[in-house]
Amino acid sequence: MNQPPAFEDEVAALLPRLRRFAHALARSPSDADDLAQMTVERALRSKDRWQPGSRLDSWLYTVMRNLWIDTVRSRSRREKSEAPEVEAATLGHDPSEAVHAAIELKRVMAAMQRLPEEQREVVALILVEGFGYRETAEILELPIGTVSSRLVRGRTALLAMLGEP
Amino acid sequence: MTADDEKFFAWLDGELSGPEASEMEAKVAADPRLASLADQHRALSGRLRTAFESVEQTPISERITAAVRTRKAGVIDFGAAPRSREVRRPAARPAWMAMAAALVLGLALGLLLRAPSNAPFKVQDGGMYAAMSLERALDTQLASAPVAGNVRIGVTFRDQAGGICRSFTSQEASGLACRDDGGWRVRGFFAAPEGQDSEYRMARGMDPNLAGLIDTAIAGDPLDAAQERAAKQNGWR
Repeated sequence: MNQPPAFEDEVAALLPRLRRFAHALARSPSDADDLAQMTVERALRSKDRWQPGSRLDSWLYTVMRNLWIDTVRSRSRREKSEAPEVEAATLGHDPSEAVHAAIELKRVMAAMQRLPEEQREVVALILVEGFGYRETAEILELPIGTVSSRLVRGRTALLAMLGEP
Repeated sequence: MTADDEKFFAWLDGELSGPEASEMEAKVAADPRLASLADQHRALSGRLRTAFESVEQTPISERITAAVRTRKAGVIDFGAAPRSREVRRPAARPAWMAMAAALVLGLALGLLLRAPSNAPFKVQDGGMYAAMSLERALDTQLASAPVAGNVRIGVTFRDQAGGICRSFTSQEASGLACRDDGGWRVRGFFAAPEGQDSEYRMARGMDPNLAGLIDTAIAGDPLDAAQERAAKQNGWR
């Protein structure tokens, strides 16, 4: 019989996804990595709160989302006026694929930043992470109808921002 | 937002089934405007997924994987920390700043709200600073001195920016504060595990989170007793 994987190993396996979610929430890649790190620290410290048998990924997303909200709230008091800039990312001549991907990521992150937080998290979980409405409602501890209506508003606003290439 | 809009998007996201799904499908097929909207939103979702998938192609920074490894290794022997520092030091922005922001917030704000008159923290200039007994202890107590009040100073060191930082342990928690113009800015604050009183904790050693935080922040070795005394005489500069 194989030993079940250690909690730490399971968390490590979910790191790429957590990091992706962090990028969808945070305003910069370095903020996203900070958030991912905080989430891992927090999760490992409070692993007793996770119920074995329940979905570890959902729990970790909840941990990350709550940390993010805490950070955003503490920061917004300091930097209320500092709206995230939407960079007019100008494509250079024949950019390499990686450069192109980085520019595209920046552009999409900037658009996500312009969404209200409550729409951003719903868009991130459903459209980026691929969770269902029900799972998203559980992660965010919201009624499913709220999730659904925020999603409509968020994606409609995003389409207006990103619609034209 | 009308219920109809929500239903359309629920269909688009595969959330509808049975007759509801086929009904919406027929509706979209019959309406070029809806069909075009569906295409635009499918493209948008695809674009979002692709953009964020690129994150997975970039290597996970060492400090994040280190956070997992550190935990797995169990309680950190702080005495051994300086030796392992080279591999675990984060590359760019000190992670502990952000970490402290979140860790400090919940607990410390809780303390502030609960006991506003004698809370060991104050908020100024958008930062959390030591106050009352904690501030006094950080100002006056030497790590080498016996514990006077209910705050014990752990180690004193210079951080990578050259400022003085000191770790402390009190009844409910332990943490790290660094000196700046405003006083002792709290960089990290960790609650004691439930059911452990401070005596037990002191005997058991430093909170591994605090040890990790110090490990990330410290430049060189902690100050020895003579250096610590000199730093105090110099107003912790």
